[in-house]
This record gives sequence, C-alpha cells and structure tokens, in this order.
Amino acid sequence: MNCPRLKDWLDERYDWDAIKKLAKSKLVPEHRYDLWYYTGGITFFLFIIQFVSGMLMALYYVPHVDFAHKSIIEIVTKLNMGWFFRSLHHWGAQLAIAFLFIHLFGTLLLKSYRKPREFVWVTGFVLLGISIFFGLSGYLLLWDERAFAATRVATGGAGAFPFIGWFIKAFLRGSMDVTGDTLLRFYAFHVAILPIITLGLIGLHVLLVQYHGMSVPLTLEKEKLRQAPFFPNVFYKDLMIWLAVMGILVTFTVLMPPEIGVKADPLAPPPENIKPEWYFLFLLQTLKLFPGEILGLNGETIAILLVACAILFFFLIPFFDRKSSRGEKSPLFTWIGVIYLLYFLTMTVVGFLS
Amino acid sequence: MRGIGIVRQRLKGWSFSRRLRLLSPALLLLMSAATSWAADKIAKIDVFPPTPYDGYIIYESLAVFWLFIISLIVIIRMKLKEIERVQELGVEEESPDAPILR
Repeated sequence: MNCPRLKDWLDERYDWDAIKKLAKSKLVPEHRYDLWYYTGGITFFLFIIQFVSGMLMALYYVPHVDFAHKSIIEIVTKLNMGWFFRSLHHWGAQLAIAFLFIHLFGTLLLKSYRKPREFVWVTGFVLLGISIFFGLSGYLLLWDERAFAATRVATGGAGAFPFIGWFIKAFLRGSMDVTGDTLLRFYAFHVAILPIITLGLIGLHVLLVQYHGMSVPLTLEKEKLRQAPFFPNVFYKDLMIWLAVMGILVTFTVLMPPEIGVKADPLAPPPENIKPEWYFLFLLQTLKLFPGEILGLNGETIAILLVACAILFFFLIPFFDRKSSRGEKSPLFTWIGVIYLLYFLTMTVVGFLS
Repeated sequence: MRGIGIVRQRLKGWSFSRRLRLLSPALLLLMSAATSWAADKIAKIDVFPPTPYDGYIIYESLAVFWLFIISLIVIIRMKLKEIERVQELGVEEESPDAPILR
C-alpha cells in the first residue's frame, strides 16, 4: 500500500522518519530460549480479542437477576453469530490465562525478573491476579446454577481469611449471600473497573519492557548474541504466531462451544460434583488436603493463610533472589520455581480427574 | 391376573364416565412419566446452530479460515526471508530500481 499524499500529510505534522528509526532501533536478542519472548505478545493479542468480543456481548447482556440468564440464551440462540462470539470470549479467556501462566513460569525459570526488572514482574503478576478475577466475575454473569454455586464457594472461601475475610466477602457479594447485588457488582468489575486497571497495567508493563529491553537468560549473558531488529523481523514472527493462535482459538470456539446450565436458584441445593474453572482447581485441591480442624483452629482458615503466604512468597521472589540479581546462578530459586510449577500442574490434573 | 379379575368384577356395573374419572389421574401420571425422559433434552440449550445445513456451513468456513491462515503465514514467512536476505547483504533497504529476477 503506497499513499504518498497521506505520507506527506503525516510527514508535515509528525517526524515520521524519527518514529520509524525508533521502531527499528529496538533490538531483540536471538538465542535458543527466545521463543519465550513471544508468550507475552500472545497474551496481549488474546487480551485484545477479549476486549473486542466482550464489547460485542455487552451490547446485548442484561445484568439483572431476572434477565441475565435469559439474555445469554438470546445472545446464543437468536443473535446472528452470537453463539460464536460467546464461545470466542469463553475460549479466549481460557487461552489468555493459560498463556499468562506459561509467560509467568517462563519468566520465573529464566530469571527474567532479576535486577533491574523487578517491577516488570510485579506488574505482570498483578495482571495475572486481575485476569483470574476477570474469570471469576465473568463466570457469574452467566447466572446458571454452576456459576452461582462456584461464586458462593469462592466468595465464601475469601471470607475464611483471618481478620479481613468478612470485609472481602461482604465487598464481593454486596449482601449476605450471592444475590442480584453480587451479579451487578461483578458486572461492574468485569466491564468497567477491571478493564481500566488492566489497560493501565498493560501500558506500564509494556513501557517497562521497552525501557529495560529484553532480558537474556543468565547462562547466555556473557555470550555474544545476534540482535534482530524488532521491526520488521520480530514483529513479523509475532504476526505469524498470533495467526496460528487465532486459528487454534477459532477451532476451539467452533468445536467446543460452552454449555449453558439451568438458571440459578438460590434456594436449590448446589449441583453434584461441582468444579470451578481449571485455574482454581489447584487451590480447591489444596483446601481439600486440610482437615476441618487443626489444633482447635479452623482448617480452612489455616489452609487459606498458607496458600496466601505461598502466593506472597512467589510474588516477592525477585526481591529474595539476591544471587541472580548479582548475575550469579541461583539453583535454589530454579528448584523453587520447578516445585511451584509441578505443584500447580499436579494439583490441577488431580482436581480435573477427581 | 387374579388381581385384574377382581378389579374387572368391581368395575362391571360402572358407567364409562365414572370409569374415566377413576382412571384419569392414573392416565395423567403415566403421560407425565412417559414424557419425562425428554425433560433433560428440553432444558439443554443449543449453544451451536442445530440444523445440519448450518453445521456444514460453519465447518466448511472453519476449513477455509485455516487455509487463509496458513496462506498468510506462508506469505509473511516469505516476506521475512526476503527481509533477512537483504539485511544480510548489509543494506537497509533494497534499491527500488533493482530488477526482480537476477
């Protein structure tokens, strides 16, 4: 595409060549682990799909306890391509969270969090937490019996947190139990509050990555690596990967559209063998490991405290791992990362199969 | 069989409308039981267009979509190879006057 008049018009107003030069000046090192660089880009691409498909769904969704379930049925059964966009939104969320975890563990095992990139890790970790809350809040919007029971369990679990649990539970639910207030609250989180925070955090995360440049694994730091310009080389590779991910996403969307259950009834007993979304399974299985009472204390409270401590430690790893920040190998934190990864995978698989 | 015989003896003097009144609750019960197997199917919501024609169009479109994606990836790959070849020559951009075939 060649539009000389448009180019001239832009050149008169903006220093177009300087922008092009800046884009070309960004270099990305090429090495055997550089595939991990693309996981962040894939997550970003999936976030864009989530924003677009979510906006389309928001045009027809009714966040009211009497109409929420019906409006989703109408989106799926009556709107042209409604089933497709709902399924795309569902599978986009699953893939986005899966790639966030891959990106997180890749960063952890390659020690890309080390000095001076601690805040890149912090913003990424907060983004993962927000994405999980995106999943939880979006799940309730369906307002079917499974979503209702899962939200009741999740918000109830948050209530078991000592001292501030009651506040978190009340803040999330908006009333004593999961009601229409909770639905409205989760809708506000899902379509307004969380997207704004996410946009800000993604901007900050990308800005920090540009500021620090791409991280190179410790083992390769002393080697002389070939540098490829981000534009167009890496950008074209990004495009190819995004296209492949788009194909996989659309295939899941078409072949496995998510079911819609029976409308939630607060007075009905919860459905049997209820399971949360896959990214909560490790948490559920961990809670199951603990007995109801330990030394006269509530077992669930102790379990939630331990899980919170483990997550807090995980979050603060860049500040604990002094060796890698000095540029030395730190096998202890590699093992800690491997243990976290294995625990997450094992508990997720066990939760899925049980 | 003996039980049926006793019931038949009892019903002998009854009029048809009286017999119908007696049997109607049982008939209603049987009717609801006979259709209850379909209850789960009615509750299940179609999350995919249910007609075979729509299904065929969608699967065909999926195949075309994959062809489109693969073609685009091949084109981008070829373009990238060409960019890398020019970069290896040590020049920023290929001369616009350069012949296409050498």
